[in-house]
Amino acid sequence: MDQSYKKKKIEIRNLTKKFNEKIILKNINFDLYEGESLAIIGASGSGKSVLLKNIIGLLKPEAGSIKINNVETVNLSRSKRENLLLELGITFQHGALFDSLTIWENVIFKIQRINKLSKIDGQKLALDIIKNLGLGSDILNLYPSEISGGMQKRIAIARAISSDPSILLFDEPTSGLDPVTGSVIDELIVKSVKRLCASAITITHDMASVSRIADKVILIDDQTISWTGKPNEMLKSNNAKIQQFIKALNPKLFK
Amino acid sequence: MKKRILNILESIGYTCIRFLSQIGNFFIFCISSIFWAIRPPWYFKQIHSQIIDIGYFSLPVVGLTTFFSGMVLALQTSIGFSEFNSESTVARVVLTSITKELGPVLTGLMVAGRVGAKMAAEIATMKVTEQIDALGTLGTRPMQYLIAPKLIASLICVPFLVLIGNTIGILGGYVIAIYKLDFNPDLYLYATIEHLYWIDVVQGLVKASIFGFLISMLSCYFGYNASRGAEGVGYATTSAVVTSSVMILTSTYIITALFFG
Repeated sequence: MDQSYKKKKIEIRNLTKKFNEKIILKNINFDLYEGESLAIIGASGSGKSVLLKNIIGLLKPEAGSIKINNVETVNLSRSKRENLLLELGITFQHGALFDSLTIWENVIFKIQRINKLSKIDGQKLALDIIKNLGLGSDILNLYPSEISGGMQKRIAIARAISSDPSILLFDEPTSGLDPVTGSVIDELIVKSVKRLCASAITITHDMASVSRIADKVILIDDQTISWTGKPNEMLKSNNAKIQQFIKALNPKLFK
Repeated sequence: MKKRILNILESIGYTCIRFLSQIGNFFIFCISSIFWAIRPPWYFKQIHSQIIDIGYFSLPVVGLTTFFSGMVLALQTSIGFSEFNSESTVARVVLTSITKELGPVLTGLMVAGRVGAKMAAEIATMKVTEQIDALGTLGTRPMQYLIAPKLIASLICVPFLVLIGNTIGILGGYVIAIYKLDFNPDLYLYATIEHLYWIDVVQGLVKASIFGFLISMLSCYFGYNASRGAEGVGYATTSAVVTSSVMILTSTYIITALFFG
């Protein structure tokens, strides 16, 4: 589909990231358009999470440019970056829910930073958000350690979407989950992205997830992007690396 | 042989550079913590919860330690000074030792063991489970939300704990002096009040503030720079307690020698 009329939400050009002298990412280029859902796949240690951390400013690239909503972020001041981050909803690989806060406090954490809410209003708002994700009021006053891994992932998504961001970033949202719970999480991601009319980047190893949530796929291999295409093009692709990757992750597809 | 010597020199040089870099990083961390502690917004809920944790929940362990230290001090001093004017001397030694040295140092060590370990483990766990990264992406500065409340609460609570510890320690000495050594209560009390100098109390409080600063900063620093999962959390906790304890014992001498010697 022609994307030229769509607004670029994220634009990455020639991004290079090193740790000491070791090159992790080299000359990464891609765009994320308005309303688009992009999946980034790659082997463990290929630099997918590093790429995500560069986008949100937790790491600084050695070279290249990262634009979010057309704003160059690489050398952005702290306060401007903080304002920009408010437009992003992010979930981390292990959920990263705050252990010392209850579920409802976790869900509305970002909103509380912007508008102070009373306990009753906060709980009500948190309940509205988690209801959309298929959770009930019974977990509102529990702590993250008291709920299952699948629920923690859902709460992490709830926290990410709580402020209605226009860009969503998911770092391995289905890792460590059984296939059924994984597919529920995928559905929630698709539903949330649609409801917010947001653009999304999802890092995943799960090919089933890719087919469910992504409009476009990027394979990171050997420090760089080695394949870009649509999910249904992956199986037909002659690219050796993409075939090797799919084979390793999902051998059944090739039987 | 020459290669071996070079290797040894290289490892010594590497250790020295690493040590100096750690000191530099710690210094920057301290400056940054102070900067964020004095800058609004202040997270009063976090400060309040830290004050309760450091100030209130440390009271039993501090009270118990200083009480028995006061008791043993009175007992040992009475043996040494039995031939002199014991009431006055024992009271004076207990008072001076507790207010100037034992009170702050014992309180500092107890807080380092109890609170320092907790702070380091909490922050290290948050670090390795990406909670600190998550904070940064949710419109909250980790230094301001996590570290500054701990610094502020430590600076308030450790001097307060030392004041209470001093009182309990002196009371411990009084209990032994009166009930075991059969001293005259009035004379002992009079000698205690007579030798109570504000400069000694101030000296103890100055030390307490510095210990509070060191404990919170070292614990947060090791926690904040933790890596490598559960092992990293353990390493950060141990490093925080050991370094805080060593720094308390080292700095108490330096403070006394520089300002009160």
